[in-house]
Amino acid sequence: MKILSKEDFSDFVNALIKDDSLDVIGVKSKGNKFAFGPLEEASELRLDYDVTLLPPKKYFFPQRETLFTYNIADGSSAKNAEAKPSVIIGVHPYDIVALFHMDEIFKETKSDPHYFEKRNSTIIIGVNIQKMSKWNFSPYMGCATVDYGYDLMLTDLGNRYAISVGSQKGGELLSKYAKNITGALARDIQLVGQKKREIVNMSQQKFDFPIEMIPELLKETYEESGFWEEHAEKCLACGSCVLVCPTCYCFDVKDNPDLALENVERVRTWDGCLLEDFAKIASGENFRPTRPTRYRHRYFKKGKYLFDRFGFISCVGCGRCSSNCLPNIANPVDLFNDMYHETRSMGVQLAPAQTPEVNIQSEGNIDYVPKLATIVKKVVMTANETLFEIKMDDGSELGHKPGQFAEISVFGIGEAPISISSPPTKKGTFEICVRKVGNVTNKLHTLNVGDRVGVRGPFGNGFDVDSLKGKDLLFVAGGLGIAPLRSLFNYVLDNRKDYGHVVLLYGCKEPRELLFSEEMQAVSRRPDVEFKSTVNWCPDNEAWGGNIGVITTLIPQVSFDPNKIHAIVCGPPVMYKYVIADLKARKVPDDHIIVSLERRMKCGVGKCGHCQINQIYVCKDGPVFNYAKIKGIPEAL
Amino acid sequence: MKPKVAFFDFAGCEGDQLQVANLEEELLTLLGQVEVVSFREVMKEHSDDYDIAFIEGSCTRLQDEDRLKQIRKNAKIVVAIGSCATIGGINALKNYKNLDEVRKTVYGENAKLFDTYAARPIDAVIPVDAYVYGCPIDRTEFLQVVKSLLLGKKPDIPNYPVCVECKKNENICAFERGQFCVGPVTRAGCNSCCVNEGTVCWGCRGLVDNPNENSHKEVLIKYGLTVDDAIGKFKLYFGWQEAKR
Ligand SMILES: Cc1cc2nc3c(=O)[nH]c(=O)nc-3n(C[C@H](O)[C@H](O)[C@H](O)COP(=O)(O)OP(=O)(O)OC[C@H]3O[C@@H](n4cnc5c(N)ncnc54)[C@H](O)[C@@H]3O)c2cc1C
Ligand code: SF4
Ligand code: SF4
Ligand code: SF4
Ligand code: SF4
Ligand code: SF4
Ligand code: FES
Repeated sequence: MKILSKEDFSDFVNALIKDDSLDVIGVKSKGNKFAFGPLEEASELRLDYDVTLLPPKKYFFPQRETLFTYNIADGSSAKNAEAKPSVIIGVHPYDIVALFHMDEIFKETKSDPHYFEKRNSTIIIGVNIQKMSKWNFSPYMGCATVDYGYDLMLTDLGNRYAISVGSQKGGELLSKYAKNITGALARDIQLVGQKKREIVNMSQQKFDFPIEMIPELLKETYEESGFWEEHAEKCLACGSCVLVCPTCYCFDVKDNPDLALENVERVRTWDGCLLEDFAKIASGENFRPTRPTRYRHRYFKKGKYLFDRFGFISCVGCGRCSSNCLPNIANPVDLFNDMYHETRSMGVQLAPAQTPEVNIQSEGNIDYVPKLATIVKKVVMTANETLFEIKMDDGSELGHKPGQFAEISVFGIGEAPISISSPPTKKGTFEICVRKVGNVTNKLHTLNVGDRVGVRGPFGNGFDVDSLKGKDLLFVAGGLGIAPLRSLFNYVLDNRKDYGHVVLLYGCKEPRELLFSEEMQAVSRRPDVEFKSTVNWCPDNEAWGGNIGVITTLIPQVSFDPNKIHAIVCGPPVMYKYVIADLKARKVPDDHIIVSLERRMKCGVGKCGHCQINQIYVCKDGPVFNYAKIKGIPEAL
Repeated sequence: MKPKVAFFDFAGCEGDQLQVANLEEELLTLLGQVEVVSFREVMKEHSDDYDIAFIEGSCTRLQDEDRLKQIRKNAKIVVAIGSCATIGGINALKNYKNLDEVRKTVYGENAKLFDTYAARPIDAVIPVDAYVYGCPIDRTEFLQVVKSLLLGKKPDIPNYPVCVECKKNENICAFERGQFCVGPVTRAGCNSCCVNEGTVCWGCRGLVDNPNENSHKEVLIKYGLTVDDAIGKFKLYFGWQEAKR
């Protein structure tokens, strides 16, 4: 531990400010509040602050950030300028722990380069809490003091600062820019220890139970809709509680063209699960349509989902959510205390707290920049659906598995997740079948052969073609659900001898909406495939000789051995419940039912939070799921 | 071929067209993309051959409806700009007055009252394809909308409240400054500009799709407004929308 007098500390900060190669940021006053901002003078620093309006995450994951810029005409892109090294002075321990949480999240599976570029070029100078906001409960979360995650950590000792050096970078910064550094005496070390013990007793909030119980408590309360309705009744869906949170990471991605309509910035901005349209998709379906469901999601996210995934409760107790919620319903302490008392009064016995097994892998970086590709064939299939055949410009294969998807960019408009509809056995190009429903898909329909698109991916897990080998397969496709299933179906046909009996059931609203009609006719003539199709209704002016009724009316028409068959189901959200019920009635075991799900998506790589169903990410853990694994996940089907 | 655009005004202050006229440099770049055929604020000529019609002001007289319907016929895309055109705006305040008078004269012989035509937004008369909210409109957002239309895209107008932008801008909340704000129920998109300037949101962009009005009135009262004043806060801009809800 080092000691620096307050004057010498000021000189140190001013020396940092003078160095033009550094951005120096610190806590300053803003009205009667505090905020991190660029420092012009050491005297602006307010290390005696209670809490800042926004956490320092805004320097690593800014409110608005350009991921890259591209040209509308040819799709060519330019990367951002490199981040300038910076020093952030005055970060409280809970915000340091929060950054550690963010690191884990932005690192999982693949690293987010935009976040880590800034993170790695920033030096964090922490400061131990001198005043604690009345909403702060960081001591309960074990985040009021911290022994890691900083380069330097300051403790105010009256006329001097005690400085713990947390990293080599921190030590070097100190010796390069500070003068008159002395070693800490035993007395100083003791004093710092005493201060830290005092901080732990500063909170004015109070949990009535040990916080280790939070994940189990939540588990017991999920279904208590009355509890959530009562607590969320006053929710304004204003998002304040998540926008100010140091551990929230959800984002939206949008394209912003310049005035000349030549170049476009792809921008990511903060988003939040409390906002009404967060989980809404183009067809109008909203997977978390009500205030209580969104309100509940936030608490589960913090206290259960991320806990199960990472092993920590994703709240550091800064109290920002509590102080920013106008109806005063966002305070985690109040909510969890209520939850505790309610479960107790119901006589629920809580299982002891368990630490989940954490297995976080990370390999390589996310590339947000799409690769260029060209439309080589366009087949209009119905009034709303068109099949596009696409070739990567660099001649590479997309390299997908059946059931995976890609993020397709339409230049000037944006990106949308689309299933690959062709099997990997088709080489040189791939196909997508697109329904026009919104901006990206409408514009894509106006593109022609020779036009360029952008492609990121393939993403998602896809179907496990090997484990299906030798099995009987029952494909159940509703409407556009045929698009992802076709990649597996055609793969099976291309490797027909590896699979047993194959049945395809396909249904849509009316005859003119039938997709791939020629292919279907060819399939219907194959002796080695059983094919049945249906329409919900047939208007008088259309011809239809087949079955009329919803897709489930086809299931009784086929015979299969429930123990040998594996059902593969994809269709509109409403379809799954009914199909699965009918399959179960036919004694198909749960783990023989495989579904492919759709959710709103932005990043495709498990970062933006949009596709989340309870604890799972559809983009990363799915879109293909074994029913046995997700039947216990309440928001899945 | 460049799309032809025309501007029209109804009952309003023309403040929004002024915002457009004031775009200066941006307008020049923008003009490279479109051809303005009618714009009273800056030119004398007028033509009925246009693709995009920007309409300012609310509809306050039955006679205005025909003119609106004609514009709808001529234009491929109709864009309502400003509070008056998008949500009825301040004009809709008079609707409350009439209601009060109606109440006073419940048993009166005054049939004339029923001729009064409540001020209404454009989409109460003709279908509208895009909206530029605000009183006056935000120039950046106006440009966003025009760019989107030119690219064949539905403009991205947020359906979340002003608080979202206000938090991102790291403002001190009006309620913490002893002031009263309707940002929590008002549609964002202005980048919380009034709060950024140290004042409050008055709600000029209208309500979000599903505002929690009761909860927010409770908040206003909890922080010290009288019930009447809280209701008054909602009347200023939300008159037409509240009556419809
Ligand atoms: C794994 C997966 C596979 C899909 N496969 C296909 C396919 O093969 N063919 C097809 O036509 N459609 C498919 N969809 C749906 C398709 O992604 C949406 O229709 C599309 O995103 C709508 O974008 P838009 O810009 O046209 O509409 P807008 O309404 O303008 O959407 C704006 C944004 O909202 C998000 N969004 C809206 N709807 C959806 C949605 N349904 N799913 C995910 N994000 C959404 C997107 O980020 C989109 O950019 C798939 C979706 C998922 C998640
Ligand atoms: S801050 Fe409060 S009112 Fe706003 S979304 Fe969060 S819980 Fe709802
Ligand atoms: S949930 Fe609230 S208290 Fe916890 S870290 Fe987020 S803002 Fe702070
Ligand atoms: S989903 Fe989680 S990280 Fe995203 S906004 Fe909600 S609480 Fe925050
Ligand atoms: S000042 Fe208004 S808009 Fe901003 S956070 Fe407060 S209530 Fe919301
Ligand atoms: S802050 Fe409120 S009053 Fe001001 S422009 Fe935005 S919506 Fe209108
Ligand atoms: S987390 Fe972004 S799409 Fe799944």
